Amino acid sequence: MSELVDAITNIKEDEVLRIVRHRLEVGEEPIALLEECRDGMAIVGERYRKGEYFLGELIMSGEIFKQAMSLIEPKLTGDVRTETIGKVIMGTVKGDIHSMGKDIVTSLLRMSGFEVFDLGVDVAPEAFVEKVVETGAPILGMSGLITPSFESMKNTVTAIEERGIRDRVKVIIGGGVVIEQVKRYVGADAFTRDGVEGVKMCKEFMREANR
Amino acid sequence: MIEETMTPQERVQAAINLEVPDRTPVLPMQTYYFACRHKGLDGYQMVKERERALQAHLKVYDELGGFDGQVIPGISFIFPQRISGIIAEPLYKVPGVDLPRDSILQHDEREILLPEDYDLIADLGWNAFAEKHYSKFNPRPAWKILEWGERQTARYIDDIRVWNEHGVPVYKGGEVFSPLMFFSMFRTLEQFTFDLYRRPDRVQAAMDALVEDFIQDAIEEVRLTGRTWVMLVLERGGCFYYPVKIFERFEWKYIKKMTEAWVKEGITPLLHLDQDWTLNLPYFRDLPKGCICEFDSCTDIFKAKEILGGKQCIMGDVRASLQTHGTPEEIEDYCTQLIDVVGKGGGFILSSGCFVPVDAKFENVKAMIDYAKTHTPAQ
Repeated sequence: MSELVDAITNIKEDEVLRIVRHRLEVGEEPIALLEECRDGMAIVGERYRKGEYFLGELIMSGEIFKQAMSLIEPKLTGDVRTETIGKVIMGTVKGDIHSMGKDIVTSLLRMSGFEVFDLGVDVAPEAFVEKVVETGAPILGMSGLITPSFESMKNTVTAIEERGIRDRVKVIIGGGVVIEQVKRYVGADAFTRDGVEGVKMCKEFMREANR
Repeated sequence: MIEETMTPQERVQAAINLEVPDRTPVLPMQTYYFACRHKGLDGYQMVKERERALQAHLKVYDELGGFDGQVIPGISFIFPQRISGIIAEPLYKVPGVDLPRDSILQHDEREILLPEDYDLIADLGWNAFAEKHYSKFNPRPAWKILEWGERQTARYIDDIRVWNEHGVPVYKGGEVFSPLMFFSMFRTLEQFTFDLYRRPDRVQAAMDALVEDFIQDAIEEVRLTGRTWVMLVLERGGCFYYPVKIFERFEWKYIKKMTEAWVKEGITPLLHLDQDWTLNLPYFRDLPKGCICEFDSCTDIFKAKEILGGKQCIMGDVRASLQTHGTPEEIEDYCTQLIDVVGKGGGFILSSGCFVPVDAKFENVKAMIDYAKTHTPAQ
């Protein structure tokens, strides 16, 4: 494990930024640094999955990654900068203003190399539909913390069906209280209460889409 | 029906005392929104049309066949009559004003406190800091904030009167956040998490300076309302969010201090433990006797029984989404497990996980209540 990967996995903010600055200064390839940062984040995600790390470590490592990227990104060439593994639309559904879960998953997806279109909170079904059409994203993630959000999720799936694009997009719902019955009610393809699992699902969906 | 030989208060107190009551006590948490929706009120009316909402709440209580009391009688707040106590309540967005009319009140989490405020609070204490800097939280003049706080408290006390006249006991007399929960709400979860890593000593100094004021706020609220339960609002300090070393330093230390101070005053601390606290459960064995640990279905309540059984009263935890999208049979199945396993030997209060959701199915809420009245715990 490199010094940089080690610093990221152990949530050492100052250390990560010092290493990145130094290695850029001595002319190292920014793409190598980007990959090491992603490797570090993958280990953080793995530790979270195993129950060794918690949400706090995910949030803090996400912040460290963001800061490291602000140093690395300007040095990347255009091709590398725009290379992503897939597009995901994210939003907290209409009537719900809780952003925390949605923000965490958005951040995890970006760290994993996804291009995320974050529509914010209190998002109307039509806004989700328009974004799916506009971007061609194959995955739509809807978040909600309060139970009335389930109705909005269902309305969004209905709007997607009415637009005739349901078969083009996988729908994942997330939030602290979603369960299997809610997934069925909403008509979603998957549900999760865990951000890391959500990212894993998106990767699976991308693999399916690329087959 | 199981023959009842205790009053609701005796039944609930028996559970707190870890004794076996005549039947399982049942206390659905915060039935107000659900009752109002069931009677056709929208979110705006729930907040603005108090008398109509209160009548709906009473009516639905009766239609449900009654239960062992109201933990929370309505949606008014209780405040100590000083500005620091009033502004410590997080801000809300209101249906029909900031949100769609048929929505519900939701916390408006914003970065109101800044990193430098930790030092100011550490130097001044919370009350003096709040007296000086209240406009950060609320732009209205101090006299208006105080007037609003007085009005809220008067309504809360009146709600207690109405329920008591209806023959229903009300339990909660005060409510405060833990220092961690407070800073997390007013710094935002993300910024507060950065603070824990970047300036932990300053965070701790501010918490040390603030906790005594919060303890006293709750004691004053209990004095004002004459009800002896204090709801300690907890969510962000458990193992869903942070490793145990952060919990120990920034959450547990203060939970212990607050609950010990309150129990000495004859108060029953109700620990409102939203989200997952499973890894933190062993610590709660050291809470003073006479607390209630209330779970929302994210913590493993069966593990809680293994660890806290015989030590603390456990309350919970029919999941919100099961109440909205489950069936009465599914509710009964889950309540059977709760009553037979968690309720074994006493020390258990059956409840909704967190609050009864606004869109819960009537038959599901009724199934939970009826089941407590009819199901004899397995021996």
